[in-house]
Amino acid sequence: MINNDIEVTVLDIKGEQVKIGISAPKQVSIYRKEVYQQIQEANKEAAGNVAAAERLAKLF
Amino acid sequence: MVEVNTKAFGEIAIEDDKIINFEHGILGFPDLKKFTLIFNIEKGVESTIKWLQSLDEPNFAMPVMNPNLVMEDYEPMFDIELLEPLGNDLSPENLLMFVTVTVPKDITKITVNLKAPIIINAQECKAVQLISDNDAYTIKHSIYDKLAAKKAGE
Repeated sequence: MINNDIEVTVLDIKGEQVKIGISAPKQVSIYRKEVYQQIQEANKEAAGNVAAAERLAKLF
Repeated sequence: MVEVNTKAFGEIAIEDDKIINFEHGILGFPDLKKFTLIFNIEKGVESTIKWLQSLDEPNFAMPVMNPNLVMEDYEPMFDIELLEPLGNDLSPENLLMFVTVTVPKDITKITVNLKAPIIINAQECKAVQLISDNDAYTIKHSIYDKLAAKKAGE
C-alpha cells in the first residue's frame, strides 16, 4: 500500500483470462499512419481525464 | 525503488518488482517506458478501472480495464513477432491484457480502445501496446450501456 486509498500491483491480478490470436505467418503488419495517429490521440485523451475516470471508478 | 510525485495519486514509492517495462513505450509516447499499475484499495483488484501510471512522466496516467468485462469474446490478433518484447514465457497465466479507457465529461460517452490493447507479462514485468489486425475492433468502442447493464445485474 502506498497512500491511504491506492495500491500498486502487477502480479496480484494474474489469472484473468487472456486470449491473444496469432496472425498468419509472414503477414506483415503495416499500419496506416492515420491509425497510428488516432491511437496516439486516444492515448493522450485517455491520460487527459483521470479525474473523470476516478468518478467513473466509484460508479462501477 | 522509484519515487514519483504523481499528479493523480500524489507521492508514490514503487518497488522495482512492481515496475512494468514497456521497451518501446506506448503508442505515440516512445519515451514513456516505465509504468506501474494502480488500483483503488477499497475495491481492490476487482475494481473495474485501474490506472497505468507513468514513472517517467508523473502527469501521465491512463485508466485501463479488462476488455473481457465489456466483450467476453475479445481476442485480438497480432503477428507473433510483435510479441517479442514480452519475453519468452507467454503462458496465458503470465499474461494480463488491458484496454485504455477514455472518459469524456459526459461519462455516458465512455469508450475503450479495442484496437490497441496493452499486454503485460506479469511474470517478467514486460509490456507492450500493440495494434491488432482485427478490423472489427475500433479505437473508440462505446461501453456505457454494457457497464450499466453489468452494474444493474450485480
